[in-house]
Amino acid sequence: MKLDIQNLSHTYDIEVLNELNIQLENKKAIGLVGVSGSGKSTLLRIMSGLEKPTSGKVIINGFDVQDKAYRKNVGFVFQHHNLFPHLSLLDNITLVLTKTRHVEKEKATDIALNNLRKLSLEDQAHKLPKHVSGGQAQRASIARALSINPDIIFLDEPTSSLDPILTHEVLSSIENLRDSGKDFVFVTHVMSFVKDFADFVIFMDQGKIVETGGPEILDTPKSEALQLFMSKVR
Amino acid sequence: MNKRLSYLISILLFIGFAVFIALRQRQPFNLSAFEGYRTLIMGGFLRTVMVSFIILIGSVISGFVLYLLSKSKVRFFRAFVDVLTEIIYGTPLLVMIVVMAFVIGPAFNSYNRIVLGILGITIYITPYMTNIYKSAFSSISDDQYQAMDLFGFTPYQRYRYIIIPQVIRILMPPLMNNFSLIIKGSALLHVISYSELFHSMSVMTSRTFAHVEGYIIMWMLYIMITVPLSQFTRFFERRWGLQ
Repeated sequence: MKLDIQNLSHTYDIEVLNELNIQLENKKAIGLVGVSGSGKSTLLRIMSGLEKPTSGKVIINGFDVQDKAYRKNVGFVFQHHNLFPHLSLLDNITLVLTKTRHVEKEKATDIALNNLRKLSLEDQAHKLPKHVSGGQAQRASIARALSINPDIIFLDEPTSSLDPILTHEVLSSIENLRDSGKDFVFVTHVMSFVKDFADFVIFMDQGKIVETGGPEILDTPKSEALQLFMSKVR
Repeated sequence: MNKRLSYLISILLFIGFAVFIALRQRQPFNLSAFEGYRTLIMGGFLRTVMVSFIILIGSVISGFVLYLLSKSKVRFFRAFVDVLTEIIYGTPLLVMIVVMAFVIGPAFNSYNRIVLGILGITIYITPYMTNIYKSAFSSISDDQYQAMDLFGFTPYQRYRYIIIPQVIRILMPPLMNNFSLIIKGSALLHVISYSELFHSMSVMTSRTFAHVEGYIIMWMLYIMITVPLSQFTRFFERRWGLQ
């Protein structure tokens, strides 16, 4: 993934992101790290095109993230699974494919089953979200994100509503996708996952990028803010 | 105690209670009074069902219109809905029917009391229907709208495939409860001499003096409509409910 963030600021009632600038190339998995309210989720949502920044620009792989063409190629996994509750796991995926990507029903079913299999959910395919565990629902939403064959998948604290066992289950299925050829940008509070999975870490504090680098920066933090953060999450 | 047995015992208890009450009456329970009135009572029964369906359909539509007005950007419409709702919440149904048939209708040169009475119940039930729509639509979470945005569903697709299929499932149980209210409320149409079940039965009892029999049979007839309805609602909730 090639990422170019230029003078990015964003304000709700207060300033959430403050003049961010960063240029990166050839990164496969970028982890955004920081305390709650540091702006990492907002940055993730802007990078995915879900939210429009107040000012500045984000260019990913040559596309402005506000481009419609770019947004169609983005997978996003929310904090909660956000599956449609009246549809089975399978139908949650096929509905998206047939209606918004104009894939034929049969092919859509193939794609959906294939992705559910990747996340070990083929035997749950016909169940409603309420009849599977939180971890399985979250995995199904990852399968749904994969099914539209995006170049990049964004994950916004995908395990924040899960207990430790389910968290492990979901994160290890994400790790299994490492060789899927997709790029990942994710926000999480599980530092062991960041260390295992990310090839680049962006640490944010109070709306600013404070420290960046490979996952090793989490073990040898330079800035005071990251040192403080790591001393608290350990 | 298992579930079926508990229900069976409860039902038998109520039947036993009804038999006890019937036996305690001074005069013997005499169903022969119904001879010659069967057609009248069946007609009343069918008219109750028919009128209830008309009111149900009418209020489902008017409730939706009121819901749309309550969500309107025009402040006047929202205020209008609030004021109307407050007035209706404070009005007894009987008063509503009488005022509609004898006061409001004539002011518009309309003297068809039956139509006016039906209209009265329809208007009365409308805000309750609006409430159902409000809770049903608000139960579609923001999470789902986010997902719809993300995948780029068109407005038509959102309603057709995601919102309406869910809203219908949420609407059905309270809608059936309201229907049950309408059926019972329709008995009040007897005050404007509409020969629905209550009125037909009153005609019979005033001629034969079989008050006890009349009211008990009438009670059974109402229960015959409302119990299957609430059972169907439960079945619907179990089979298609979302929670």
